[in-house]
Amino acid sequence: MIAGARGRSGLAIVFIGLLAASPLFVSDFFLSAILTKTLWLGIVAASLIFLSGYGNMISLAQTGLYGVAGFVLGNVVAADGGLKVAWDPWVGVILGLVVATVVGLVFGAVASRSEGIYFLMLTLAFGILLFYFWGQVTQLSGFGGINSIQAPGIVSKPRTDPDNLFYICLVVSVAVYALIRYIVRTPFGIALQGIRDEPTRMRALGYNVALHRTLAFGLGAFLAGISGILSVWWNTRIDPGSVGLGRTIDVLVIAIIGGIFWIEGGWLGAFVFTAIDTYSRNIDWLGPRFNTLIGVIFLVIVLVSPGGLIGIWESARGLARRRSGAGAGLPPGAPAERSG
Amino acid sequence: MAVAARTAESAEPILRLRGVGRRFGGLEAVRDVDLDVRPGERRAILGPNGAGKTTLFNVVAGEFPPTSGTIELFNHDVTFMPARMRVGLGLTRTYQTSRLFLGLSVEDNLYLALVGVEGGHLRPVRLPGRDGTLRSQAREIAERIRLQDQLGAPVRNLSHGEQRQLEVGMALAGEPRLMMLDEPAAGLSRAERVQLTEMLLGLEREITLILIEHDMDVALTVAEYVTMMHDGAVIVEGTPAEIRANQLVHDLYLGRGHYERR
Repeated sequence: MIAGARGRSGLAIVFIGLLAASPLFVSDFFLSAILTKTLWLGIVAASLIFLSGYGNMISLAQTGLYGVAGFVLGNVVAADGGLKVAWDPWVGVILGLVVATVVGLVFGAVASRSEGIYFLMLTLAFGILLFYFWGQVTQLSGFGGINSIQAPGIVSKPRTDPDNLFYICLVVSVAVYALIRYIVRTPFGIALQGIRDEPTRMRALGYNVALHRTLAFGLGAFLAGISGILSVWWNTRIDPGSVGLGRTIDVLVIAIIGGIFWIEGGWLGAFVFTAIDTYSRNIDWLGPRFNTLIGVIFLVIVLVSPGGLIGIWESARGLARRRSGAGAGLPPGAPAERSG
Repeated sequence: MAVAARTAESAEPILRLRGVGRRFGGLEAVRDVDLDVRPGERRAILGPNGAGKTTLFNVVAGEFPPTSGTIELFNHDVTFMPARMRVGLGLTRTYQTSRLFLGLSVEDNLYLALVGVEGGHLRPVRLPGRDGTLRSQAREIAERIRLQDQLGAPVRNLSHGEQRQLEVGMALAGEPRLMMLDEPAAGLSRAERVQLTEMLLGLEREITLILIEHDMDVALTVAEYVTMMHDGAVIVEGTPAEIRANQLVHDLYLGRGHYERR
């Protein structure tokens, strides 16, 4: 990480302040369809970036795990479909997060001993497994999904009164961002980065690498679960298509567009993705070619800056610093979480 | 040095290998090795490329178990003990090609080595008191390996020589009782090798040292006792003087020219 921790946090605070004030100057449509969606979609992308950037675990199960939280929520609260148990919406939130985390820990325990392409394929299998589980177990969902899922009163009506859900998503996103930034500077988080760089050395230093990876994967599942809950509140529904291979690829694309080495990249990528997804539909000559457009943007970014949009920003800063002759050296004590 | 060596003779060995062998399919990388290393000893393991030195290291460090024989470390049978458990006994090691955490700073690398020994690997919170102690210990080690000015630098930005210094520093963390260094001088400049030799000579006697080294100046200066390997087996053991004088060693490894220059 070239940027000093203080500059990075300062920039994050400016962005958060701007977002907090945005209901004053953006339309309800923009607030709900773009900003709120960006915030919850950014969380699941951030969970992927946490696992890949800090643990070298590129997980294709994040959408599946986000679905676990969403489907569990849909099943235990009042809804059209699923078990229709009609418990309190907050009980659904807690159950959803707990089950997503437990499933994540089990998956993590299975996948933690493999690396690279094998890890990728295992997590892809987990994702597909979950997709078919929800599709084929019709008592719990079926391919029609669960509709009209009840949200707590505080969420209000996202379509007509989007402010409440926007602020909930903002507060939760800030909390998730702060949590990840904190955890990567704890012994657990620094050790995770050690495992990312040299698992063999970590074993020789006394660390239980498989256990460490499993717990990190569980944390990633918990974060993805948070995103799943918010997505259900925003959509008021969930179906297996929400956690299918298409969405899995979307989240991977979002993380890479934003910047796979920086947590912030999750939300930046989600914003670009959501904005293009929403507005490209209005461009007549483009027609229904959203995937072509996002694919081209994805390719350009991967070729120009493997660090994504944030990578471009970081390179520009580094260049500016060298030009001004201030030297590219790190200030003493600056964290070196990742130097893309 | 002779006095130290003689007192070492009388003590019980801290590392005892009996009939250790390691086979990779059809290749017998290490065969029937007996080895006793006593506390405080400085032992060099020499031998041409492919002699089985690093394989022997990996078996002792627990990277993989031997296919035959037994290993005793500090009077514990560790033959099948996983690598991560051996740190607790006081065993640390370095690698022939550096295995450092390139994305982390020098201080974080040493911090991880200390946490590895001290425990609390999974602690998900920062504790200013405890982390403060560990970080000041990390800075002390950085001073010993002369990297105190690079504490915050990402390790991938260090020069090769600095990375080799840090590699040794990683093994110094947590008051080790047995340090195993795999070619610590590999790729170092002459000046850096002199520095390394001085640092190894300055190590406390509480630390037992086993090193693999191709550089004769470093190996025969630091070591009091030399084990010579060839084709997976130990062929000669002796003091540096005996090794220098041994005809078999010359034919296999040193070469007449090297000997005469001395």
